[in-house]
Amino acid sequence: MAKSNANTELCKGCRLCIQVCPKQAIIPLEDLNKAGYKIIAINTAACIGCGMCYRMCPDYVFSIEQETKSYG
Amino acid sequence: MTALKKPRSIIQPVSFCAGCGHAIIQRLIAECIEELGLQDQIIACCDIACSEWSLDALDYDFIAGPHGRIAAVATGIKKVRPDKIVYAHAGDGSSYVIGLTETCYAAIRDVPITMIVVNNACLGMTGGQMNLATTLLGDKTSSSPYGRSKDSTGHPVDMLKLIQNLDVQFAARGALFDPRHIEETKRYIKKGFENQVSKKGFSVIEVLSPCPTNWNLSPVDAMKKIREENTKVFPLGIYVDREERGTGCG
Repeated sequence: MAKSNANTELCKGCRLCIQVCPKQAIIPLEDLNKAGYKIIAINTAACIGCGMCYRMCPDYVFSIEQETKSYG
Repeated sequence: MTALKKPRSIIQPVSFCAGCGHAIIQRLIAECIEELGLQDQIIACCDIACSEWSLDALDYDFIAGPHGRIAAVATGIKKVRPDKIVYAHAGDGSSYVIGLTETCYAAIRDVPITMIVVNNACLGMTGGQMNLATTLLGDKTSSSPYGRSKDSTGHPVDMLKLIQNLDVQFAARGALFDPRHIEETKRYIKKGFENQVSKKGFSVIEVLSPCPTNWNLSPVDAMKKIREENTKVFPLGIYVDREERGTGCG
């Protein structure tokens, strides 16, 4: 299943991703990145990899990656 | 395996303010160009203003023209290098106020270029002053601190309705307030590039974009303002599509 990955060093704390996530899987944090902006975290268990955050983010923080499952 | 990733043509971190729509538009442009496989044929034109930040961020040949004259610069490039794909990324101040003549004459000549106009309802880079063409009535800006009044500065103008009367290939208006409209805007921009590849006429795509810094709103509230206020004055949709012989929101 596809999941969203976030490079929060690029984040500028605009919070646009939080309101477009249909699963409320993006959590706003008070932590700061190196540039001094508030960042977010992704609740991977809730993420469905729909790509809404990727489409909305003005700072290209997100990428949607296909999870590869290893069996056995 | 990556399902969705930032386009490879974007080679620098975003220089725009937090929540700025220019960066989303920059990604849409790069995605459309990569999906059509045009990376090596692009000559990009950006105007003096916030759109200029994409000059270093995108891995294309770039020209920044004199302020407001970007449609004329792009016209010149297309005339001498008709084999190249030329697009102009400009703001509403330069395209609709300072360079209205250039924009209109590029449309009148029906030059096969793709013009992307970012309508953020203010003059962003100079400090958010009122834009005669796009600031809504009542909006407070640094040059209209009591709100724009009709008596002293007139109405905002829907420029696509003006361009609609000219013989152009494609004119459409998109917005960035939610992912659905961002994808719709991408389809318009892609159509603009496809028109140019198939040597059709002038394509203009206007995008309603937020400027949270100068609107003194949070990025989330700025998107809400576009959805609830700006789209009422500037209706979204396709205005001219010569291929379809239809006119939309007119």
